[in-house]
Amino acid sequence: MNTFKWLLQREYWEHKGAFFWAPLVVGALMTAFITISMVIALSGAGDGLRINGVNIAKLAAAMTPEQASAFAEKFIFSYAGITMPIFIVLGICIFFFCLGALFDERRDRSVLFWKSLPISDNATVLSKVVFAIGIAPVMAFVIATVTSLIIVLVVCVAAAAAGVNIFGSVMTNPATYVAPLQIAAILPIYAMWALPTIGWLLMVSAWARTKPLLWAVAVPVMAGIMMSWAERLLSLGVDVAWFWKNIIGRLLGSVFPGAWLSVDKRMPESDSGSGALTAFSEVLQQSWQLLAGANLWLGAAAGAAMIYVAIRLRGWRDEG
Amino acid sequence: MSAVISARGLTKRYGKVVAVDHIDLDIPSGRIVGLIGPNGSGKTTALKTILGLAPFEGELSVLGMDPRLHRDALMEQVCFIADVAILPRWLRVQDAIDFVAGVHPKFNRVKAEQNLASTKLKPTMRVKEMSKGMIVQLHLALVMAIDAKLLVLDEPTLGLDILYRKQFYQHLLEDYFDQNKTIIVTTHQVEEIEHILTDLIFIRDGKLALTATMDEIGRRFCEVMVPAANTDVARQLNPIDERQVFGKAVMLFDGVPRPVLEALGEVRTPGIADLFVATMKGTYV
Repeated sequence: MNTFKWLLQREYWEHKGAFFWAPLVVGALMTAFITISMVIALSGAGDGLRINGVNIAKLAAAMTPEQASAFAEKFIFSYAGITMPIFIVLGICIFFFCLGALFDERRDRSVLFWKSLPISDNATVLSKVVFAIGIAPVMAFVIATVTSLIIVLVVCVAAAAAGVNIFGSVMTNPATYVAPLQIAAILPIYAMWALPTIGWLLMVSAWARTKPLLWAVAVPVMAGIMMSWAERLLSLGVDVAWFWKNIIGRLLGSVFPGAWLSVDKRMPESDSGSGALTAFSEVLQQSWQLLAGANLWLGAAAGAAMIYVAIRLRGWRDEG
Repeated sequence: MSAVISARGLTKRYGKVVAVDHIDLDIPSGRIVGLIGPNGSGKTTALKTILGLAPFEGELSVLGMDPRLHRDALMEQVCFIADVAILPRWLRVQDAIDFVAGVHPKFNRVKAEQNLASTKLKPTMRVKEMSKGMIVQLHLALVMAIDAKLLVLDEPTLGLDILYRKQFYQHLLEDYFDQNKTIIVTTHQVEEIEHILTDLIFIRDGKLALTATMDEIGRRFCEVMVPAANTDVARQLNPIDERQVFGKAVMLFDGVPRPVLEALGEVRTPGIADLFVATMKGTYV
């Protein structure tokens, strides 16, 4: 187990840029962007400070405490989604991490160094899987949570400067504190959902002699195009759309957090009026409902099988 | 003494090319073996099969294990440096030490730090900031701090200056080597390792051209400076090689009794380099 810890540490050393600095920079840019917008708005340029399309300055004078609270509620709902850019960057970074995980070491021949140490192919490949679906998302989550809290503070301060005090409502609304926990509760589902893409990319990474990106993307996409073409020509009655969505989409797109929501086509209505807490709960509930369906489990099983192939490939590959 | 490496009919093909061709080999413990061969003779391929880095045909046992199946267990006892600088570019010196210390039960951190103290490497340096020679120094420092039963060095001193090379082989012999260890070295700079070897293996076209201990070599091979008057007589003894030095013929004999040769001229034990050249004649023809 100690070896495994060092293998994870090793991945962190190598990929600190993609999984620590990248989300941190994105978070910092988002904070800076919001802060600057607020400052510009408060300084009187344009038509005043707007949050969620509501002109604060105009409202401020006439706002009742109930209205202020409703406004805060509306703001909190969007705040869980504020950090989406960090998770999109995470998806991209995990995609390329897996694609290079077993390829780069062969290209620069450092695989000969790693293989000169008493570390099994199992442990090596599994450490990369755990890093991709465990460590990396957790790091992104921590940075995202800190970022969203800072942004909430900035907006609250800006609103206060415009004459609306939403501090109280925001700080006493349970959604403020529950939202990060809800995001954290999605991480296990994300880990399982991402497995087919992780497995596919690791397998290509262990197998390809050159250009892993081309192989990883071209093989499924070409298969899809061939199927679409054959279907159009011969009308075989194959459900091509299903193939694109459930095979190609799952192979290439499952590392993007929340990808399952678009697959299920049941995105919550952003103005359901049921309050911030329930709105995000719906996302959480939908995510965990995946456990009851076959899609998540079949994908995870396929991912595990491909990870196994990647392990064997790493063992068999003759290092030129 | 049990064999550290034991091979029967060891063969490795790349498509139609036979890189290692039915090698039978036994290397006992406590030896320093020089594996010498021209480029493309199968040295590195043979070592790769021993290290579990390439699949092969035939039988091969390293420390009693099949390297194809038990590479990770084997690597607790075996260390190797491959023929190219292969440390990952992002690795820092201190991280490299931490990592190897973390995963290798036989790694001695103090030794590694001592090895590094004699170089210009700093703990925070990354591999990508190092010169070729410095990367090799780091790799050697790590490997030499591991108490392995079998050490495989494939061109270990490539890119190092002569000072460091001398120092390295000295260190290898005096501080690292003992009766429980076996070392296999390949290098093109044969003269530099000549004095530390106990055994010699010449490999050519994937086959063993010569396997002998250094003592046997001393007994079997003689080099004679033959004056012009004796050359015809000497040639009748079938020298395996003949070259001209300052107008005198220098002939190399295999298995001719020393007293016979002493009658012909000045006799001495040949250097490995000369023996190698004689054995490998015609390689590039």
